[in-house]
Amino acid sequence: MVDREVQNDIKRQAPRVGKSALKKEVNTKFKKIKKEMIQEFLTLPVTQELLGGPDAPNISGTLNGFTSLFAFIGFDAGDQPIAPILNALERTQLQYSKELKESRRVGGKFIVTLPTAEQIFSMTPMPWAIGRSWAQGIETGISGLGFLLRKKGKGRSGAALQSRVKVRGGRFKNTAYISSFIKKYEKRFRNLK
Amino acid sequence: MKAQFQHNLTTSFFLWFDNFLLTKGEAFSNKTGKLFNYTDDRLDATYKPYGSAYKQWVTDSSVSGANIPSGVFIGGSFSGRDDGVVLDFDNGRSLISGSSTDLNVTGEFAVKDFNVYITNDTEEDLVIENKYVVNSRLPSPAEDAIAPYDDVVPAIFISTATMENMPFAFGGMQETQCSVKAVVLAEDTYQLDGVLSIFADSRDEDITELPMTGYPITELGDLKGGSYNYTGFIDSYSSEQGFYVNSVRTSKLTDRDRKSLAHELYVGFIDFDIHKHRFRFE
Repeated sequence: MVDREVQNDIKRQAPRVGKSALKKEVNTKFKKIKKEMIQEFLTLPVTQELLGGPDAPNISGTLNGFTSLFAFIGFDAGDQPIAPILNALERTQLQYSKELKESRRVGGKFIVTLPTAEQIFSMTPMPWAIGRSWAQGIETGISGLGFLLRKKGKGRSGAALQSRVKVRGGRFKNTAYISSFIKKYEKRFRNLK
Repeated sequence: MKAQFQHNLTTSFFLWFDNFLLTKGEAFSNKTGKLFNYTDDRLDATYKPYGSAYKQWVTDSSVSGANIPSGVFIGGSFSGRDDGVVLDFDNGRSLISGSSTDLNVTGEFAVKDFNVYITNDTEEDLVIENKYVVNSRLPSPAEDAIAPYDDVVPAIFISTATMENMPFAFGGMQETQCSVKAVVLAEDTYQLDGVLSIFADSRDEDITELPMTGYPITELGDLKGGSYNYTGFIDSYSSEQGFYVNSVRTSKLTDRDRKSLAHELYVGFIDFDIHKHRFRFE
């Protein structure tokens, strides 16, 4: 039979020891998922193509090879459209919120500061119309306006000037991008145990 | 083909948009002036056109303060629809039966600050490729009739872009998500900022679903039944499940890019996300 005093000590100290171990374990798992998330984001075809700049081939398939996404959206040569999204994903953190008060289990509540799709849309403005998001446009459709404006404005993206093909409506093919990506990792972080 | 959901959406949205701009922004001005005769090959010999200097007269009598014409003055005497006068609101003119081309015709009417059009043109066509006649709402000392049919600016071009159904409730109810885009071409930043501000505030607005047959204009541009009142019209459809503006974003073409355009217009964009909960094919 264990002494009552020892019993009380165990009761008092166990959550503290458990909390520390829990934090460590959850943090390890969090870091693994975060690393995978950033790696996956960097390998998405849209991301890859935009990282390739104005001369990149249309690997995202959004333009049937007509030009690069970079030139079509109307970025200036030297722009880094992916950087704000990458920074936001890099800033994703794990925060311990509170202890879970369940009699038979030791646990804690954590908060993951993953950016929402809306937050990413607000940090990815079209180069020619602040207020519109190019990242959202990848999902909902982008007109050829940026491409033609750059062409008219003597091709600031470098590649827009080269093409003499008229941009026709419907040339852009929408594709899943930020919304589904964030939803996927939201689910993975939510299931972190 | 009978009218489908998309047709009703276009009609309902267009009429709501027009009314919202005219009422919230008081975006019209009352004018009095001479109507000038000109030739129009599209008209048969029944009518002679007498046009004003402005396109798109206000049709909606629920717009407080707007002077909605019911006829014109010929030689100082009022002539209405019963006297063989047709009012072509879209083209800002009257069609007078007979063959006289030298009548002294005047009229009183409200003119929209912005012409509103439904279009299938792409944004690049609207902003870059198309050439526009500027139909300024400011009075000009040498007024003449504005040519009919062609789109003129200042104007707002509305197009329904995409539509997607998402499962919403048991029993097959869908949440239909529609993307409606508007391109605004304005003469100055005051006009542009005004329109963008009005519609940025339209989030959560209800839009009554109206049948396509409810469009109030005839093939000659006159009002069906001689009058049109938006608020009165939607009252008869208030029991229907309507649309709502789930979100709306406004933006302006940057000044740097505006300077590369062939025209001097100020360009803005309004992107509406319109939702409706519905059962398909009902």
